[in-house]
Amino acid sequence: MSRSVWKGPFVDAYVLKKAEKVRDSGKNEVIKIWSRRSTILPQFVGLTFGVYNGQKHVPVLVTEDMIGQKFGEYSPTRTYYGHAADKKAKRK
Amino acid sequence: MTDLICVGAISGSFGVRGEVRLKSFTSDPEAVADYSPLTTEDGSRQFTVQLTRQIKNGFAAVLGGVETKEEADALRGVRLYAPRDRLPSLPDDEFYHADLIGLEVYDTGGTLLGKVNAVLNHGATDLLELAPAGGGGTVLLPFTYDAVPTVDLTAGRIIADPPEGVLPE
Repeated sequence: MSRSVWKGPFVDAYVLKKAEKVRDSGKNEVIKIWSRRSTILPQFVGLTFGVYNGQKHVPVLVTEDMIGQKFGEYSPTRTYYGHAADKKAKRK
Repeated sequence: MTDLICVGAISGSFGVRGEVRLKSFTSDPEAVADYSPLTTEDGSRQFTVQLTRQIKNGFAAVLGGVETKEEADALRGVRLYAPRDRLPSLPDDEFYHADLIGLEVYDTGGTLLGKVNAVLNHGATDLLELAPAGGGGTVLLPFTYDAVPTVDLTAGRIIADPPEGVLPE
């Protein structure tokens, strides 16, 4: 069953605090978080979070199309490298 | 930058008419045939590739010069390579993973940070996985203009300005 709308999106309070602090300071900093369950909110757009995957903090630059997803979705706990072949990387 | 890029592997024979089971490593799996003719790693053999149908875990393919099931069986485990210059050129802000892997990464002060181990994408931005120069666990660097202002493929180096908290203290 999905979460009741009246409750609003769930975000751990410390994530909000840390994000606000970095936004106010204007620093280029990775915000280390362990809360994979927190929802990505519109005020997080443009910030880079280091989302813990059990081993390390994976940098996640939040963009508009990620709003409403959970942080954990962008920090997989298992890594498969595969082959480079003709795969491309785009600098944003 | 490597001259040959692994684009597929032969995982055995398919049927009794000399077709092979071909695993594709390209981003669009069917594009493996576009880079034909493909060579073995040492360049001793060259095959034209014609995909015949899609099968579990890859494609059935007819390779030039492979006529019988025995010949196809003998190729099991062989990796197929395409020359790097056969890949189409890309816009300025795009790079092939194969070009980035192995480049040395320096900070803006000229200190060596490490080497690119892999390029990952977990749904957000692309990430460069660095093997630090001083050893230890790998480090993930977001592949953005802020964190990676310069990629110099000809010099084989990347200039990075990692945000605070990316590198271990």
